[in-house]
Amino acid sequence: MKESLLEILCCPLDKHDLELEDAEYDGDEVISGTLVCSECGERYAIEDGIPNLLPPDMREETPA
Amino acid sequence: MGILENKARARLFYKYLSKVYDQINPFIWNEEMRAEALSLLEFPDDAMVLDVGCGTGFATEGLLEHVDEVYALDQSEHQLEKAYEKFGKRGPVHFHVGDAERLPFATNTFDVVWSSGSIEYWPDPVRTLREFRRVSKPGGQVLVVGPNYPDHTITQKLADAIMLFYDEYEADRMFKTAGFEDVKHMFQGPSYEPDVAITTVARAPEN
Repeated sequence: MKESLLEILCCPLDKHDLELEDAEYDGDEVISGTLVCSECGERYAIEDGIPNLLPPDMREETPA
Repeated sequence: MGILENKARARLFYKYLSKVYDQINPFIWNEEMRAEALSLLEFPDDAMVLDVGCGTGFATEGLLEHVDEVYALDQSEHQLEKAYEKFGKRGPVHFHVGDAERLPFATNTFDVVWSSGSIEYWPDPVRTLREFRRVSKPGGQVLVVGPNYPDHTITQKLADAIMLFYDEYEADRMFKTAGFEDVKHMFQGPSYEPDVAITTVARAPEN
């Protein structure tokens, strides 16, 4: 993802802004890092450039 | 509630369905139907377009015939893998893993919000449509393709057991309750089953 994407992204839970932490770049692409909600502190991973913005109860490791 | 309206079940279902989805999908939703649905939309220059429940990217491909970039979201990483193969991870499609009901996008962002073949898995369609309205710009268009409620009783029972089906009256109620205006419906399908899908297009209010 491009860092400019942050302008239109928000926390899926409370819709507050997200802040980018521990970012690794490939040119202008953020290839890994963590998006952190400025309000509730929930953390969302960026893996291979794709942000995973699933709420915690729907993530892969959550039992079905 | 149908068995696939539970998101965890839908996720598991798609983990396996993704392997064959593009082979079986053209029988219910094909390029002709996609083009017909796309013709209902207006794309301004540099349109911001969101594809909710993009899956393997069939609709995304159609949207890219009208715009240069598409924002796409799906809850299933297995479905998305197929879409990555088509478009690459860093091409014209900006991919997000996420939930249709709890969108990770800012208010008033999109000119067009598209969703085909996803509504039948939403546990609370009105709540999800409200999310669509929230992320739409004022006057922005939303288009949803879902399964039309079958006419025959036996098929209806089967339909109710599996997932959400709805008719134009129910679609009208859902979209209007979610705050949309200018709500219109169109039935679509291949020649042998012309009413299999219901496509609804609506607008977010101007203010």
